[in-house]
Amino acid sequence: MKKMLFFGLGFIGITASTALALDLTALVREIEGQYNGRSSLATMQMEVSTAHWQRNLQLQAWSQGRDQFLVRILEPPKEKGVATLKIDKQVWNYLPRVERTIKIPPSMMGGAWMGSHITNNDLVKAARIEEDYRFSLQKEDEQTWTINGIPKPDAAVVWGKIVYQIEKKRRIPLVVDYYDEQERKVRRISFDQVETIGNRTLPLRMTIVPQDKADERTVLTYQQLIFDLELDPTVFSLGRLRTP
Amino acid sequence: MDDLRLAWKNLWRNRRRTLITLAAIAVSITLMQAAHNLSFGVYASMIDRGVRAGSGHLSIYRQGYLQDRDPKLGFNPQNLAAEISRLAGVESVLPRLYLPGLAQSSRDSRGILLTGTAPVEEYRINPFLRKLPATQMIREGNLRDALVGQRLFEELKLSFGGKFVVTLQGQEGELASELLRVRGIFTSGIKDIDRSLVLVDQHRAATMRGRPQQIHELAIILKPQADERWLLDQIGRLLKNHPQLILVGWQEAMANLADAIRLDYAAQKFIFLIIILIVTIGVINTLLMSVMERIPEFGVILALGAPSWRLQRMLLTEALLLGVIGMLLGSFGGSLATWYLRIEGLDLRYFVSSSLEFGGVVFDPIMRADWDLRWMLKMAFYVCGLALLAAWYPARKAGKISPAGAMRHY
Amino acid sequence: MLLTLALRNLWRNRRRSLLTLSAMVASSALLILALGVFSGMFADMLASGTEQYHGHMVISARGYQEDRDLFRTFAPSDINLQTLEARPEILAAAPRLRSFGLISHRTQSEPAELLGIDPGREARVTTLSQKLQKGEPLHAEDQTGALIGSGLARKLGIDIGGELVILTQAADGSIGNDLLTVRGIFASGDRHQDNALVLVQLGWLRQLLVLPNAQHEIALRLGEPLLAAPLADTLATSLPAGFEVLDWGDLLPQMRDAIAAYDVSRLIMVGVLYLATGLGILNTFFMSVLERIREFGLLMSLGVRPWQIRLLVLTEALLMGLFSLLIGVSSGLLLTWYMAQVGVDLSDYISPISYAGGTILPRLHAVFIFDNFFIPALLLLLISLLAAFLPANRAAKLHPATALREG
Repeated sequence: MKKMLFFGLGFIGITASTALALDLTALVREIEGQYNGRSSLATMQMEVSTAHWQRNLQLQAWSQGRDQFLVRILEPPKEKGVATLKIDKQVWNYLPRVERTIKIPPSMMGGAWMGSHITNNDLVKAARIEEDYRFSLQKEDEQTWTINGIPKPDAAVVWGKIVYQIEKKRRIPLVVDYYDEQERKVRRISFDQVETIGNRTLPLRMTIVPQDKADERTVLTYQQLIFDLELDPTVFSLGRLRTP
Repeated sequence: MDDLRLAWKNLWRNRRRTLITLAAIAVSITLMQAAHNLSFGVYASMIDRGVRAGSGHLSIYRQGYLQDRDPKLGFNPQNLAAEISRLAGVESVLPRLYLPGLAQSSRDSRGILLTGTAPVEEYRINPFLRKLPATQMIREGNLRDALVGQRLFEELKLSFGGKFVVTLQGQEGELASELLRVRGIFTSGIKDIDRSLVLVDQHRAATMRGRPQQIHELAIILKPQADERWLLDQIGRLLKNHPQLILVGWQEAMANLADAIRLDYAAQKFIFLIIILIVTIGVINTLLMSVMERIPEFGVILALGAPSWRLQRMLLTEALLLGVIGMLLGSFGGSLATWYLRIEGLDLRYFVSSSLEFGGVVFDPIMRADWDLRWMLKMAFYVCGLALLAAWYPARKAGKISPAGAMRHY
Repeated sequence: MLLTLALRNLWRNRRRSLLTLSAMVASSALLILALGVFSGMFADMLASGTEQYHGHMVISARGYQEDRDLFRTFAPSDINLQTLEARPEILAAAPRLRSFGLISHRTQSEPAELLGIDPGREARVTTLSQKLQKGEPLHAEDQTGALIGSGLARKLGIDIGGELVILTQAADGSIGNDLLTVRGIFASGDRHQDNALVLVQLGWLRQLLVLPNAQHEIALRLGEPLLAAPLADTLATSLPAGFEVLDWGDLLPQMRDAIAAYDVSRLIMVGVLYLATGLGILNTFFMSVLERIREFGLLMSLGVRPWQIRLLVLTEALLMGLFSLLIGVSSGLLLTWYMAQVGVDLSDYISPISYAGGTILPRLHAVFIFDNFFIPALLLLLISLLAAFLPANRAAKLHPATALREG
């Protein structure tokens, strides 16, 4: 799940399909880091539906590399200014209403981030996908590659398998499925609304659906994306958390 | 010797009275011995189980650790474990680590206590693990094997051999995550433990903590007849080289259990006191009656020139005989009862539906007695002493008899 | 006539009668005292397990207590508190709302349970919000006050007046956050309560959780906690559908078993004690019969029937029993009263003991329970009669002629 948010932060759009020997690891790294770049600034909308409620959030996000990011809520007004800062493996939340910053302790890392189907832990484990998984080509047809990601024996990840379905032509993800070790699908993330921004082509909308609660979902839609901008490093500091 | 024969004959002159008195003494002793030995057995097994699954008969910690169980207070045991195991009476020395953290599966996450142990020794000693089959034991040197509590296994929807990730905060505050696989499940009966315990090899826990050589606790398990005091002294000496470590007995480390047992024994003592009081009054009454009805006879003896202390001595002998015979009969009955309760035990499973926790340890619903010989001997001694004491008033009465008045008495 | 004869017979051998009486008085009085103190211990245990936090009984939506699902709420108008309190068995009722969240102070954060209470009502049902180690209880107007457990306070490094940041997920999915000030710290002895519980205002929590007009449960305090189970059944029938009533036995099954076990062991104690007493007085009664054989022979030759002789002996025994009962029970009452008012403080020797989910405090005291007097009294009479049975038979079977020759 971690990597999914990072989906939203930079896509090294190597759309030239010089498909020589297909380097799967590089491909997945591309996909996982499609919203990364060296740095990024994004505005997005997050829609969360659960059995009991539905929410719409307007977010602004900055990232530097894969280890630092900052997300602020712009709307709704009640939660405007709530921010999440991640540096390496530590996560803090800033709460403007009470003007306080809280560090998320290990026991809360399994909890939902901003009420969505993304967990705090997903954020932390972000984007080191190639360190934890080995990839193989399961299937290839005219349109798509289906790639299996199997965790390395000692990788500290909960999944048994991740399956990527990637569109060959534009090298964009279509669907990513997460399985447990008994090969039961636990989560599905689908991508659509493909656009070209600058020299990158990437899907602007991703939908996360937990498989045991089929009527729940989180939909993340990118409205604005700027890559490789110069970011003041102090953006990713606790001090700056309060004053945007 | 004459006295003894005379006393014996006197006792049997009124067979019914003597038999009833003996019955009172014997039955009371039997019941008290049976009840006490039952508690003794139950508590011995609770202590044993608590000690083996918990902190040992004696435990070593870093100063201040016991206050809050702060995971930051670890220590490097160096050679202590080996040195202590060499001492006579020590059955085993178990290293332990206790680290609070988070366990995550693909389905859910829970707060847990990651417990690092020495697997082979732990399986030998820990009563919760002893009944596990070999296929469910953590393999030595395998740092990914983990045992999880029954409830945790269910709540995280794990499977045997299935994986889960444990995350905890290291010594410097950084987060450490590791992959573990379910090797086996254990059930302690205590909800909190079954919901939160994850058992791994100590090296895995220590490395995650960021201090590979350190542990939190050395639990020392003693053999049944070990000389605890001598060992306290010896281990104390070994610890002189480790000034920041302390040695505590289980009574301190598991104060809850120690106090619970103490309270129960106190209650038992009170009830026994009442029983002994009643029986003693009964013996006094009996002896008094036997004196009263022999007054004319005593008068004759006194008139024939016997000193009154002879009379008193005979009475005391009678009392002592009553006491001794009653005590022997009672102890025999008590021993029979203890023997039966030791082998068969008292099965309370019909009455107690859930696992009953007392002082932090789970009650075994089948109560078994054990021989508390020291107590039984003490009790026997007291009863004989009391029998003599009971004779004091009647003997005094006998001493005051004047021969003339006695012979007139009817 | 029989009565005077019996009384006179008892009086004839005063010393013997007195000694026997003393045995019976001692056994009954001390037994009553012991039972009173033990019942006190168990009352403590039950109280500590239920009266601090759970209450004796709890009403909630069906299934709520299983998973404590935030969304299983009901409205205050669904169940009328006044109607509940109008029942004689129910002393007080308090509404509560519950959630789980992250509690933070400076750099420390811990997960904890937030229990929204109505302080006035809660104080009449449970003791946790009143019995504080430090600080003051919550006042109705203090909307941003909180009471936390001592273990949690220690972990967060917080004291009275300190500030807590609360972070949780509200019922509409939004991020609920607010500040609270610690007004008081409690130490219940229960690990969960002391390390992971924060008591807050019901109104404040409703706002934080965006659950206006909702509550999760109503906790009840009963006059007779030991009768909670049957009351729960009756109460359940009077509630609207979809609700369930759980008594402390359902919430704390261990405690229910412990108390049931105690009831059994109590009977065994009484039995054992009175067996010893009975054997003790058996001799006395036999003696008193045997030394009057000539007298009985005389009476029978004068026309007194055997059954009358038996009755005489039994009456003597009964009188003994009644006397010892009177003195024994009143002494027992006195001793129990003393232990109830003053008690014995063993805190220097023994720390609080956890048992079956409750705590037994080392401050021993007694409670007055009717059974603790009734059963020993009744059994004392029974034992007296039983002990007199054989001797009475012996007396009745006497042959007048042989009797007269005896002695």
